[in-house]
Amino acid sequence: MRSDPRDYELVAPGSLQAVLALLARNPGEWLAIAGGTDVMVQYAAGKLPARKLISIWNLAELRNIEVRANEIRIGAASTYTDIREHEVIAREFSMLARAAHWTGGIANQNRGTIGGNIVNASPAADSLPALLAYDAELILVSVRGERRLPYAGFHTDYKKTRLAPDELIQAVCLSRRYSGYVCHARKVGSRNAQAIAKVCIAALGRVASGTVEDVRIALGSVAPVPLRLSETERVVTGKVIDESLVSLARKAAVAEIRPIDDIRSTAKYRAAVAGNLVAEFLNLLKDEKDVSNVLRRWNGVPIDDAAAQILPCCGSRAWAREMATRRPFKDEATLLAVSDEMWRNLIASDWMEAFGSHPRIGASSAHGSSAQQSAAWAMQEQKEVADAGDAVKIALAEGNREYEQKFGHIFIVRATGKSAEEILQILRRRLKNDARAELFEAAEQQRQITQIRLRKWLQG
Amino acid sequence: MSNSPGSCAKSEMSFTVNGERKTLVAFPMERLLDVLRQQLGLTGAKEGCGEGECGSCSVLMDGVLVNSCLVPVLQAQGTSIVTIEGLAAGRQLHALQEAFLECGGAQCGICTPGMILAACHLLSKKPEPTLEEIQEGLSGNLCRCTGYLQIFEAVARAAHYGMAQSSS
Repeated sequence: MRSDPRDYELVAPGSLQAVLALLARNPGEWLAIAGGTDVMVQYAAGKLPARKLISIWNLAELRNIEVRANEIRIGAASTYTDIREHEVIAREFSMLARAAHWTGGIANQNRGTIGGNIVNASPAADSLPALLAYDAELILVSVRGERRLPYAGFHTDYKKTRLAPDELIQAVCLSRRYSGYVCHARKVGSRNAQAIAKVCIAALGRVASGTVEDVRIALGSVAPVPLRLSETERVVTGKVIDESLVSLARKAAVAEIRPIDDIRSTAKYRAAVAGNLVAEFLNLLKDEKDVSNVLRRWNGVPIDDAAAQILPCCGSRAWAREMATRRPFKDEATLLAVSDEMWRNLIASDWMEAFGSHPRIGASSAHGSSAQQSAAWAMQEQKEVADAGDAVKIALAEGNREYEQKFGHIFIVRATGKSAEEILQILRRRLKNDARAELFEAAEQQRQITQIRLRKWLQG
Repeated sequence: MSNSPGSCAKSEMSFTVNGERKTLVAFPMERLLDVLRQQLGLTGAKEGCGEGECGSCSVLMDGVLVNSCLVPVLQAQGTSIVTIEGLAAGRQLHALQEAFLECGGAQCGICTPGMILAACHLLSKKPEPTLEEIQEGLSGNLCRCTGYLQIFEAVARAAHYGMAQSSS
């Protein structure tokens, strides 16, 4: 049954000092509410035990992100949006930025706070595995003063924390020492937005001379608290990553988690997914070495060669030239991000040039001069079409002709993983676009193709 | 030590709604959604799930998209709220409203006010969104009628109107 607002007190003292004074006067009686994305849900369901609430929403002392030389301090009332949009967090703590990105939807990200996520202490919370993996520390504050403690161990049991009744979390501190680490953050849920994770992972590691030098793996939704997989980490540290190590790590992970059956998933499924996510991370860590080699070589070649080498990924010479100019790239993620930025900044004629470098969907070669590598990739991408029946192929050929007459360039679609029938449907829908809308849609498809090709290219 | 039931007092608060200053008396824990609908008669924001999952109660608070079902009205004190009723300028519809009409972006209408305000928030941050950015910007708003494609198209079209305006 819904709660009655007459039964609840809510005050907004407006400063951290005043909030702490009130908390100290009657410890345990007040519940702090920031953006309300958890508290108001309990309230709506008539399940909020606290009757006296104290608003800390938008308190300036708690909503700042301070970048220091060695660490970054994220005020506890910083929202997911604040975190997502912060440049240093996006660059150095990308797993936290990604978790912020997949939490709820935009409106929840605008109100939900990192401190709230920690204190609410859900084992499925999106941002908490990242905090564990980065070895975050918390600053807690009360009228008695500040204390600093490691985030690991803050949750003592299901929904229980070390926070004293008169305390608030003031800030989350992240040490800036993870450059050169490979990281892997992924949420497995029923859908991308507005779904709570069945299992989520945040893991980072570093390989030196072929062996795992340092590794941190944290999982959500697999135990009463967000869990660091210390035993699995021990199993892989100092070892060379190969198939047998991945298999050992998978077993260790499954042995140390304690998943349950609940409304979102089953213990069995969660254990299988947890093992897969750990294996996925280790394989990424293993491959990263090779990626870096391709990138390192490319970073060092003369500019004309660099432009020519990357051109098969996206057939616009202006794009290739810009990419070559922006070298050196420190990692794959930066390369992919800069590519997107460059692509969006091009003019329409450059976009057209890139479109023209592809073969027609269903045809064997491009009508422009197409590099061998580009042609080979196009064949892989359009594999499904090549295997399709004649009727679909004829319909595609007709659609292509109509499309080219209407828009003056060939039909571009990210064909990887799409069947010929799906592509035909997309083609027919897009034929109804006006020229401007279609130009942007085609450019978006080319952007996605470029991302896929850059990843293949980086693998050498 | 809990309050005895029904013991809390109403308090006076004021904020701006669609450009007009409003002063009203409410319980601090009343939901912004209920105050908008019941006290101010602005029924554009809809209650769907009542727990921040569906986006049909979306409004802009100081230009930022929020679910009004999760905002205790005290936290709206001093802010500027925009609801769907505040988007059109007199009889002149907002570009997003025009585009939703043209593209068939509204059917039963329950999600529409929230969709349009979410799109409004997106375009204020990204005037030229990609399709993926549109999908993400609306990912907290559920629609059970359209299948979303017409809505995405409407937002893209409104963005083109916006670009055409800014370049002319």
